[in-house]
Amino acid sequence: MRVAFVGKGGAGKSAIAGTFCRLLARTTGQAVVAIDSDPLPGLAFSLGQPSSDTPLPPELIEKVGDDPDSTWQLRAGTTVIDAIEEHAPQGPDGVRLLQFGKLRGHVRAVGPSQHAFRVIVRELATTTDLHLVGDLPGGTRQAFFGWAGFAEVLIVVTEATPSSMLSARRLARLAGADGGGQTVVAVANKSVSENDAARIDEFSGLRVVGTIPRDPAVGAAERAGVPLLDLAPTSPAVTAIGSLVEAMAREVVA
Amino acid sequence: MKIAVVGKGGAGKTTTSAVLARTLARSGHRVVALDCDSNPNLGLSLGVGIDATEALLSVRDRVGDDVEHARSWDDIVDRFGADAPDGVRLAMVSKIEDPDFGCP
Repeated sequence: MRVAFVGKGGAGKSAIAGTFCRLLARTTGQAVVAIDSDPLPGLAFSLGQPSSDTPLPPELIEKVGDDPDSTWQLRAGTTVIDAIEEHAPQGPDGVRLLQFGKLRGHVRAVGPSQHAFRVIVRELATTTDLHLVGDLPGGTRQAFFGWAGFAEVLIVVTEATPSSMLSARRLARLAGADGGGQTVVAVANKSVSENDAARIDEFSGLRVVGTIPRDPAVGAAERAGVPLLDLAPTSPAVTAIGSLVEAMAREVVA
Repeated sequence: MKIAVVGKGGAGKTTTSAVLARTLARSGHRVVALDCDSNPNLGLSLGVGIDATEALLSVRDRVGDDVEHARSWDDIVDRFGADAPDGVRLAMVSKIEDPDFGCP
């Protein structure tokens, strides 16, 4: 499956995405690549990956032709599988983490790595037998601007609060304007009431495919800097994310 | 004074900004609250409500439009802003309306 998590900052995208990747790897036994396009660190912690900042070397790619506006491709002789085996390190449960590195100064500093990242993601999206799970930065900036094109399903993580649902509604509207043909669904996170899913559905117009309860284990894992899955493997949140993996498996088949 | 509140998503920037703005206004200061997020929610935390927050026009959208350009910053705030509780004047800098390729 190829999915991407989007939503308001703080909605819980990275916590869910990291746990989702590892449960997907466990249940299918297949290769999972976690795609982190957030210029701030996050996903590495929920996966349990040792490094949250590993830029891609610019030598991975080359220009197609000499035109200044020409696009990039992988350097001749390098396959996308070579690229991820060398530059997307494996962490717990065998999940690979692909990222372009984190902003330490001006955005230009990660520019070459970003080009390589985009080329690899584009190639991965047409590679079979790989699961891709994206974790996008918070807000509406990136979701439909060429960063989530690999995904068959966009999962909007939202709380049943006005600001979070407003962000979800904007994301739903932008998805419609983008016309990328992607399925867009919502997940009710930090849920405290059985009405939350219905409120999110009504406000945003998005079909809610899963509900993850408010769970103190999530905050405890974040404060400790360890993956939720390792700190509290039987917690309600982990159980709910497991159900989300199953729901997404049905979604991409359907 | 001019204050910018920054930080990671979910850290509490918008809530902090709104409380700062209204607290300063209550102590008698003239306050402009600028929402610089491309996913702007400051209106909700200030208390202007969902509809008024969504109805705010971004400064960026109006510059270069056929609307007559504002002459000064306070003209911009007057024309494109909204009144929030405690006398705070809210204005929005940018909001994403149309998907297009871009930087992260």
